[in-house]
Amino acid sequence: MPSDAIQFENVSKEFFGIRALSGITLSMPPAQIIGIVGENGAGKSTLMNILGGIVTPDTGSMTCQGQPHKPAGPADATRAGIAFIHQELNLFGNLSIVDNLFIDGFPKIDRLGLLDKRKANQSAHQALQTVGLHCPVHTLVENLTPCEQQLVEIARAVGRNARLIILDEPTSSLTQNERDRLFSLMNTLRNAGCTLVFISHNLDEVLRMSDRIVVLRDGCLVSTGSKTEYTVERMIIDMVGRQIKNLYPPKTSVPSETILLEVSGVTRPGIIEDISFALHKGEILGLFGLMGSGRTELARILFGLDPCTAGEIVAINRPLRRHKPAESIHSGLAFVTENRRDEGLLMEASIEFNIALAALRQTAGSRSSIWVDHKAIRDKSLRVARDLRLQAADHKRQSARNLSGGNQQKLVIAKWLLTNPQILILDEPTRGIDVGAKYEIYTIMNNLAAGGAGILCISSELEELTATCDRILVMSNGRIHGDFARSEFNEKNMLHAAFKGLRTAAEPGDR
Amino acid sequence: MNMTAQKNRILLAALRNMPIILFVGLFLCFGVLAPDFFRYQSIENAVKQASYVGIVAVGMAFVLLTGGIDLSVGSNMYLSTVVAGLCIQRFALSPAAAFVICIGAGFTFAMTNAFIVTRLRVVPFIATLATLVAGRGLGRMLSQSRAISFPETITRIGSARLFDVVPYPIVLFALTLLAAWIMLHRTQWGRQIYAVGYNLESARKAGINTVRIRAIAYVVCGVFASFGGFISVAQLGNVNAGFGRGSEFDAIAAAVLGGISLFGGIGSIFPGVLLGAVMIQLVSTGLVSAKVDLYLHSMISALIIFAAVAIDSHRTILLKKMQQRHIRIE
Amino acid sequence: MSGLRTRCTTLLAWLVADHFILVLTAVYFLVMWLIYPHMAGRRNLANLSSNMWPLMILVTGQMFVLLVGGIDLSQTSVMAVTSVIGSMIMTSRLDPAKFEHNPLWGVILSENGGLLAGHAMAVPAAVVLMLAVGAGIGLINGLATAKLRMPPFMVTLVTMSFFSGFAIYLTQSENIMHLPDSFIRIGKGSLGPVPYAMVLALLISLAAWIILNRLVLGRWLYAVGMNLKTAAVSGVPCAGVIVFAYVFSGFCAAAGAILYSARLEAGRPTLGQNLLLDIIGSAVIGGISLFGGKGKLRWAFYGVVFFVVLDNSLNTMPLNYYAVDIIKGAVILMAAVLDVVRNRLNQTGQISVGT
Ligand SMILES: Nc1ncnc2c1ncn2[C@@H]1O[C@H](COP(=O)(O)OP(=O)(O)OP(=O)(O)O)[C@@H](O)[C@H]1O
Ligand SMILES: [Mg+2]
Repeated sequence: MPSDAIQFENVSKEFFGIRALSGITLSMPPAQIIGIVGENGAGKSTLMNILGGIVTPDTGSMTCQGQPHKPAGPADATRAGIAFIHQELNLFGNLSIVDNLFIDGFPKIDRLGLLDKRKANQSAHQALQTVGLHCPVHTLVENLTPCEQQLVEIARAVGRNARLIILDEPTSSLTQNERDRLFSLMNTLRNAGCTLVFISHNLDEVLRMSDRIVVLRDGCLVSTGSKTEYTVERMIIDMVGRQIKNLYPPKTSVPSETILLEVSGVTRPGIIEDISFALHKGEILGLFGLMGSGRTELARILFGLDPCTAGEIVAINRPLRRHKPAESIHSGLAFVTENRRDEGLLMEASIEFNIALAALRQTAGSRSSIWVDHKAIRDKSLRVARDLRLQAADHKRQSARNLSGGNQQKLVIAKWLLTNPQILILDEPTRGIDVGAKYEIYTIMNNLAAGGAGILCISSELEELTATCDRILVMSNGRIHGDFARSEFNEKNMLHAAFKGLRTAAEPGDR
Repeated sequence: MNMTAQKNRILLAALRNMPIILFVGLFLCFGVLAPDFFRYQSIENAVKQASYVGIVAVGMAFVLLTGGIDLSVGSNMYLSTVVAGLCIQRFALSPAAAFVICIGAGFTFAMTNAFIVTRLRVVPFIATLATLVAGRGLGRMLSQSRAISFPETITRIGSARLFDVVPYPIVLFALTLLAAWIMLHRTQWGRQIYAVGYNLESARKAGINTVRIRAIAYVVCGVFASFGGFISVAQLGNVNAGFGRGSEFDAIAAAVLGGISLFGGIGSIFPGVLLGAVMIQLVSTGLVSAKVDLYLHSMISALIIFAAVAIDSHRTILLKKMQQRHIRIE
Repeated sequence: MSGLRTRCTTLLAWLVADHFILVLTAVYFLVMWLIYPHMAGRRNLANLSSNMWPLMILVTGQMFVLLVGGIDLSQTSVMAVTSVIGSMIMTSRLDPAKFEHNPLWGVILSENGGLLAGHAMAVPAAVVLMLAVGAGIGLINGLATAKLRMPPFMVTLVTMSFFSGFAIYLTQSENIMHLPDSFIRIGKGSLGPVPYAMVLALLISLAAWIILNRLVLGRWLYAVGMNLKTAAVSGVPCAGVIVFAYVFSGFCAAAGAILYSARLEAGRPTLGQNLLLDIIGSAVIGGISLFGGKGKLRWAFYGVVFFVVLDNSLNTMPLNYYAVDIIKGAVILMAAVLDVVRNRLNQTGQISVGT
């Protein structure tokens, strides 16, 4: 019998007295795809960080290909043949794609220590081809879209002949095309004898791709077995400890005729063109489109983060012209941004600080208040955190950086809920979030809508939009190309609209 | 459509080369004010006088690129030239041996910085502030605060010319720039310096030996500082107790004016630091040629540098805007 | 018995965890006192306090700028320029031999002193003007960084060299003497046992503390320094916050200048020239980050105490001029290293952090 690719023996880890992992004993057979699932904060990333030498375990040991594996740092893990695709992308925005791909080891270095640029460019080009990214290799990474950055991160890991590749939520910002390509790449690698660890909150995906499944809950191993033993329902039961019948809560809100947000003819040259729509009281309006179709840009303009050259925005009968975010917030808008690390949170600040940031004045009772009401903030932040089931050890001292990905997302939403928004713009609100939490976020949306708020929800998951929205707008190439009422929801037509106006269909990552 | 595209392209090119345009503009300006400024001699002088600050600034750029700072370069210049000068007096060394000793002293000084910053993990600002103070004290102890004069064999280097054409300080400055450029752009260490400066934690996660990379940056900085000190002494002929004092600000200013960010990871040696260093010198040489009231010198040069930085920042914003990728395909 | 012991350990742990630099300074002071008894003598203590309060004011201002991720190198030249301008208004006599060539001779300066020489309002007017000029220079810094997006280091370096040049130009390198007594009293007098300098420093610190801990503005300052983008999305008026930080810094520099000028009984164009590294060094050794978003007023205070006690002790010791520098460097380094060790122990949980 060949020795297992990886074995964990009683691995535990504690952060500030909080158990992240307790006594994990687990073996991963070689040449298989191992799917790991678990709620946000279950310890998936922590387990992988231990394997990748980024975190040292408190107790326990590991073996890799039969050899003891005790990495002192990421470089050791790389030497042991482990490649890591990080959940929070680990790229250098100031460097080109080539530099990012080879930053810890360029393909050819001559005796003087000089790099062979030609060779590096060639290898980089090849690596990009395999993941289907068609960009010049010297493009700066900060100029890429999140989707393209994700592909660079993947290319970096698969390009180095690793025996074990860890993919920590690699698909969360990919569109369907790229996902499919990644999956076939994963199959190829597995067939070539590589072991892959695949972490995702899309349980269908995990079930489809994996040979074995591992389920974690609260830092403990709940179950593991071959994929034939699992269904999505069983995974959910193991993950959350109870049954969840529906993935989507029943709709409770009914849109009224009152218009909350009216947008007419909003244009920003080269970005968006003549956008007009209305958001009604109690309505959940979906905005579907491929990545790079101008959805996020539209949201930023509505919220006053970017200027527009023409058009009108009226929020609750107040025209917003050349407005700043502060005015938007005052008019009842809230904006859950897509990128939580760079725009959503202050990573170094405490949970309480983050939650209160947008609503400092509301919590103090008046818009012109200059004082911070510490007690009100503490009470409200605890309450919102409880409503959202945000898992955190200590609101005053734990920093946002130390939350799991899903809990960070809940934190961003919590921050905006504190402002009592009437018009809530959500940009990819469920990215990287577990099924239970997704359900909770949909419920929050429902409740807000039932309470008379209007919600604009941007997403690239058509299924989620059709399940939750009253109406869906489809955007493509900076224009709105379709407006579907709930009765007209039709996947094919919507997808068709999403590709309209693109000269070459498919390949949205390619520009 | 095509016209605007063309216009955009010209504007873009202009923006990209703004530092050079600015430089030439400044030059012409002084030329008009003081005709004798136009002579080759005065340009050569400006570059020559900028060479030592330039070399120190190049080293400083390495440290700034990793997101650190080295306040001790002035003391390093002083201490290493004092050591070299004393050795010459005591042992009657050849210029080459003196040079080696000077660089060796600079290297030792820099290793101390690197050790304190990377091993003892003291914040760079405080670490190098401590070595700034202590280094100056050590130098004054060795020299007894007396000026140490250098023999003619060494001062000759300051005024000699390569092939009787280009002054040596300028040649050495150029070589330093070239070496630094190669180090930063054509070696793995160089690329890793940028990565470390972008985000130390990410760099560690990516498997980069961050301790080594940061140490290299401090060592390069220290070695270049002593090198710059040596060249400066070769031009001045002696080291007095105030030698190099405040040079850290000159060096950082030249580097930042050249586009190196104090937050790390952004900027480049060429042409950035070169223009930064020469521009500062050019302004002061120009003011002398234009016979401006001495009391007004620092004010006018401050205004000029302010304008340069303002234009440059505006340019960066514009460039970013123009290069932002468009979503719509027409 | 053992209860007392654990309580002592907890107290110690708390002191070391949160007030480390202060504890370190106190220990250092005690040791020095044992060796050189006159360290704690009345004269020396007065000396310590008169050095500490003005610096405290400067560092408080600097801290605000550091918090928003900036740096203010121009504080020293703000001191010089305000010192000169204030003195030019209230001085009661100028020596023609020194000032005849002054560009302002005959305009606002004459043998009979400055613009408002002898006037009852001279001192208040001068003080207000000094503070206004300081805040004004801060405003220039702030607008240039926030609106024109220029790097703060360059902006304040330029304003530093411009205004120190300006101060020298205004006075043609001469000190301005003969300041009114009521002004000098600000620097030397005291309210009962409490020197005015201390009162002023405490007032400014109190204001700063309120801003940082009780006002919305304080949260904004931290948010802007931690992440500008997030702050902007969250509705923080980023530009305004940054401008405020620089204005406050300039204001504090001017307040410091008032104390220093009053103590020196002169307007000096070179005032504060060697203070810059002490100011920023105090802030950083206290634990305030140069990268923004991290720092407490308390830390600034500890940093100041550390620097002032260190300087003072070196001056009281019978040392060679060069040994002063070497020892100063070594002590700064040692404090920093101990601080790092302490932080690491804290992180690995060997010292429990009390709150
Ligand atoms: N550096 C850290 N410091 C403190 N706590 C941490 C740290 N890293 C992780 N944790 C905590 O450990 C727990 C497990 O986190 P982990 O990131 O492994 O979860 P996860 O399963 O990957 O969740 P997600 O699906 O949201 O990514 C969380 O409660 C998190 O708050
Ligand atoms: Mg995770």
